[in-house]
Amino acid sequence: MELYTLSAAELAKLLREGKCTATDILDSVFARIDAVENKVEAFVTITREEAYAKAKEIDEKFARGEKLHPLAGIPIAIKDNICTNGVLTTCSSKMLYNFVPPYDATVMQKLNDCGAILIGKANMDEFAMGSSTETSYFKKTKNPRGLDRVPGGSSGGSAAAVAAGMAPISLGSDTGGSIRQPASFCGVVGLKPTYGAVSRFGLIAFASSLDQIGPFGRTVGDVAMLFSAICGRDPMDATSSKHEHADVLAAIQGDVKGLRIGIPAEYYGDGIDAEVREKVMAAVKQLEEAGAIVKEISLPSTKYALSAYYILASAEASSNLARFDGVKYGYRAKEYSDLTDMYERTRSEGFGEEVKRRIMLGTFVLSSGYYDAYYNRAKLLQRQIADEFARGFEECDVMITPTSPSTAFQFGANTSDPVKMYAADVCTINVNIAGLPGISIPCGNGADGLPIGLQIIGPKFSEDVLLRTAANYERICGGFNTVADLA
Amino acid sequence: MDYEIVVGLEVHAELNTATKIYCGCKNSFGSEVNSNCCPICTGMPGSLPSLNEKVVDYAIRMGHALNCTINNVCKQDRKNYFYPDLPKAYQISQYDVPLCENGYLDIIMDEDGNTKRIGVTRIHIEEDAGKLLHAERFSGSLVDMNRCGVPLVEIVSEPDIRSSKEAKSYLEGIKAILGYLDISDCKMQEGSIRCDVNVSVRPAGNDTFGTRVEMKNVNSFSAAERAIDYEAQRQIAVLEKGGVVLQETRRWDDVNGINEVLRSKEDAQDYRYFPDPDLLTIVVDEAHVQELKDSIPELPVHRLQRYLREYGLPYFDSNLLVENLDKAAFFEKTAALGAAPKSVTNWLLGDITKVLNDKNCLLSDTKMTPEKLAEMIALIDKKEISNNAGKTVLDEIIFSDKTPAQVVEEKGLKQISDSSFLEGIADEVIAANPKAVEDYKKGKTNVVGFLVGQCMRASKGQGNPATLKEIVERKLVAL
Amino acid sequence: MKIDIKHVAKLARLRIEDNEMAEVEKKLLSVLEMVENLPELTGNSSGLDRENPMELRKDEVKPSMKRDLILANAPETRSGCLLVPKTVE
Repeated sequence: MELYTLSAAELAKLLREGKCTATDILDSVFARIDAVENKVEAFVTITREEAYAKAKEIDEKFARGEKLHPLAGIPIAIKDNICTNGVLTTCSSKMLYNFVPPYDATVMQKLNDCGAILIGKANMDEFAMGSSTETSYFKKTKNPRGLDRVPGGSSGGSAAAVAAGMAPISLGSDTGGSIRQPASFCGVVGLKPTYGAVSRFGLIAFASSLDQIGPFGRTVGDVAMLFSAICGRDPMDATSSKHEHADVLAAIQGDVKGLRIGIPAEYYGDGIDAEVREKVMAAVKQLEEAGAIVKEISLPSTKYALSAYYILASAEASSNLARFDGVKYGYRAKEYSDLTDMYERTRSEGFGEEVKRRIMLGTFVLSSGYYDAYYNRAKLLQRQIADEFARGFEECDVMITPTSPSTAFQFGANTSDPVKMYAADVCTINVNIAGLPGISIPCGNGADGLPIGLQIIGPKFSEDVLLRTAANYERICGGFNTVADLA
Repeated sequence: MDYEIVVGLEVHAELNTATKIYCGCKNSFGSEVNSNCCPICTGMPGSLPSLNEKVVDYAIRMGHALNCTINNVCKQDRKNYFYPDLPKAYQISQYDVPLCENGYLDIIMDEDGNTKRIGVTRIHIEEDAGKLLHAERFSGSLVDMNRCGVPLVEIVSEPDIRSSKEAKSYLEGIKAILGYLDISDCKMQEGSIRCDVNVSVRPAGNDTFGTRVEMKNVNSFSAAERAIDYEAQRQIAVLEKGGVVLQETRRWDDVNGINEVLRSKEDAQDYRYFPDPDLLTIVVDEAHVQELKDSIPELPVHRLQRYLREYGLPYFDSNLLVENLDKAAFFEKTAALGAAPKSVTNWLLGDITKVLNDKNCLLSDTKMTPEKLAEMIALIDKKEISNNAGKTVLDEIIFSDKTPAQVVEEKGLKQISDSSFLEGIADEVIAANPKAVEDYKKGKTNVVGFLVGQCMRASKGQGNPATLKEIVERKLVAL
Repeated sequence: MKIDIKHVAKLARLRIEDNEMAEVEKKLLSVLEMVENLPELTGNSSGLDRENPMELRKDEVKPSMKRDLILANAPETRSGCLLVPKTVE
């Protein structure tokens, strides 16, 4: 058995049994990277040297018999919008092609403290704006389950690295579906935590009120383990919550007897491929057979979510990305006549088309005379959507929906029409709008042989229930942990 | 035609908290460039703000002092614009829900202590920008980010001010309160207090406002006076010529005493304010708001009126005392010990202040106490020492633990009024100065002063000069 | 619906060439059309959430970062400062 195919939990067990070392694991993982990265292109940066140095430290600690965190010695890939001290962090943008943060994001600090080993920075849509990772300035990541397909996005690199066996676990970020949709496309597990569950300090902001860092893995257990390592209040992030998180690793052992599963009809409409509906409902049926109670519910404001999302996210992005002006870090235009010209050329040359489009939209909706019509209305709608979810959760414990309307699409399929591309996020966006947790798990394949994902949504801070539901399905279908065959 | 000047002021004051508003960097002036900086205050990608609780407390105290309603539930908004001294390209400020609003400041209008009420529209908290440095040596500008994230309160007045003199009074009133509350260093030369001035004029008696012009770069209170007078005259001249005042922002050039257009109305900035999603709602406990209210000391204007009324002090002295809370407290304690208020201010604002200035120190740095000053004044009042000896006593007690009585004893400063002793001295002096006596006989009466001086010297300064003068004159006449 | 693309671009400090205007406007309008379908909602999103108050930071000094690190990513520096094209105001 190749070490790279094992889950983080299995590797942690072998490390403790002395059957392998952290260095052995790196050897296997880097051998896999050497073999398949040229096909998948999941990474912007690979930190081989630093990783081996860290593995040596961890191995010495194990040798001394120190008690270490379950993540000690486990390789991890980190999305390239999460700041890593001394390691290039580009947001897959020309704008930050050379940016080396002088500090670690809080999640990175926590992972370092656990002894997890950073092996590289994962490719993404530029500044996390996209659903296919095609807007990366550097490279197009391929879906390991079908190399002619996109891996989804924006955390495409993080999902692909895990699916391809180049890392057992990874971190992504999710603003409108950016963890769940690529997890669905790549056939892995991806959790978008409750807004405020994980510190955003060091996450290069796209839309601050919607962004949330979350874990990818090939098993529900790995995702639970990684989530429990990174969640919790951080005084450096005012929006992080003091909530006492349940022990998710214990929670996933529970069953689903009596669990009320809501099926919101609006998520199974015309825009969703028939085979996706069928596979998701088949999985629901299996959970019902295991003791869950299934009921239909309704979330009528769903149809407005996409509009509210693009107003709120673009407005925040237009402000968040204003700091990239060629003064303090990153790209600066080579030629300019004066300060304003320097700003305009730097930003026009440094940002890609999709980013500029959203900055324009966000600037417009915030500009004088339009605030009430757009931003204020979107905010009101956000509250309406959140209230609707809250009422829905009076009738059920979790909701199950498709993660994406289809399986992974082909490169270039949606790039010319932004509205069509945005529609790929229709099932996931509401969850961010309402600040709820959502998880995507594989639930079979489509006719094209590509994975289909189902999404489980819960009330705020119900990650334990989501993970328990996911783990039950994982057990029912005999496990998800498959590494894509890229021979 | 007569015109009325209408002025509104926006005062920005840096708060003297230990740390910046959104990060733990030191809030201090005069450090080496870019040395009080971190990823947060320099707007590095991924960094997030966390609000300093002291900033909220300080602003609420200012709100109480200016009689404002405190919005104990409020938020912070982003003001978006590009400039190299603003690293995030937005300033975190407060837009539609400021921390404090609807207050007022009573300003002193005359030496009788009569006041006028100036409305305070709002007080909000925000972060300062960095500093741009220019040099002829090269073609660019340099950015020092030490000041980025220094906490500010912006205090916006209603357009209730009617002259440059009132504006100055208002500004001094604001400054005095900031000092009383000890929430700002108020160092004009370090830019810790700055103001924007809004000026319009209208024909006297008219009750609609004229077109308003905003002036930037007003860096001192006296500059504010000059800028207002200049701008009002400029607008009046425009109107007199049948022209129209344009709504615009102008830049004050204090060196040349003129202003020039910075931007016209058409170029007005569109700041695209929206609630900062990185910060949650500020909710200050009602009890804490009250606690802060209870901590507000008596305000300068009230104190001034009390000094005029209760102590009968002249306006000038009262004003000097009110400007310095330490001295004011010292004054009141000394007066409470029975010393005549005017004697206290004479010493406190005279000799004591001179020592403080010479040594460049504060009253609290000395060993002077109200008890010591009261004792000294009592010695003078009882004619036990001369006023001159008092100065010697002061020099001895101000930096030591000695009491005035001890110094008088040690230095033998006790004033001698015993006439038999003084008569003896006078006899000796008269005998020793036959030339002076001759002159006196020739009608040169001014030699009396000389002879009294000789007597004082002979008495080692302890003789009561008034008594000596009497004796010398009597003896000369009798000769 | 008409957007003043030039004005918005100026606010955002983006440079859009004349020959790109039409394409940029077309794409933006298509997004705006999607966004327009919001229902009529009245009221003001005050942005205040009393139930979810912010925890404030204690006023305690923490070490700052070394200047070299603060400036390490800057495109141009001089005399320990960021260097930018000359500012006018």
